[in-house]
Amino acid sequence: MRQRPEFRPAQAEEIARAFKAEKVQYLFVGKSGAILLGYPGTTQDVYIFPERSEANGRRIVVALRKIGFEIGEELERGIMKGNDFVQIKDGPFDVNLVFTPDAISSFADAKARGLQEGIFQVANLRDIIASKRATGRKKDEIELPLLESFRADWEKRHPVRLQSASNIAARKSRGRK
Amino acid sequence: MKQTDQQAREAFREQCRRQMNRPLALRIKYGFNRVYKPVLDDAPWRVFRSTAEYRAWCEANLPEYLGFGRAK
Repeated sequence: MRQRPEFRPAQAEEIARAFKAEKVQYLFVGKSGAILLGYPGTTQDVYIFPERSEANGRRIVVALRKIGFEIGEELERGIMKGNDFVQIKDGPFDVNLVFTPDAISSFADAKARGLQEGIFQVANLRDIIASKRATGRKKDEIELPLLESFRADWEKRHPVRLQSASNIAARKSRGRK
Repeated sequence: MKQTDQQAREAFREQCRRQMNRPLALRIKYGFNRVYKPVLDDAPWRVFRSTAEYRAWCEANLPEYLGFGRAK
């Protein structure tokens, strides 16, 4: 087992602050996003959906280095290129950069539907759930009914009509017929 | 006494309401943790060119109980 820096939950906040300072375009997605909105679960990973561009990749690298992540040249290239999935486990917190999350058509669309929770930019719950459903993974399948139940209560408190990318695509498709 | 499914659902919804009432700092404090995950945590970083490549790696390398495999 590798020795890793001490874990501190507040590092999620440090990432958000560093991203804000460097003007990184991003959204928290996955369970970590739902937890920020009040979902009563736990997670070990932060899943971040960044805008895919070289400039944004450069900003991510600068931000993560500032808060203590060791980003070598090869990893830097992977981030700058916007490879689909980048796992970083060299900081006190596991960070996953997901440049093409399932069931979310574009960063711009997701950002337009996104939410602000404190200093965090978070994808909307419908996108988070649609993306989890599309992965088809065991751990997501178990979580889906609970996330849907949470969404029902969350939307009662935040009565904005939110739609996932797949909802919008389905509506557009119906309109074309 | 065994909890019924309906009672379990209602208890979870009550948890949701309580958690939503908590400040963000507490949601972070209780929501994020770290436990060693074999294989997954054994490299400082990994880059996958495609999601399909990532999924295939998870299926081939991670212990099944971590839940990264496809639901059957």
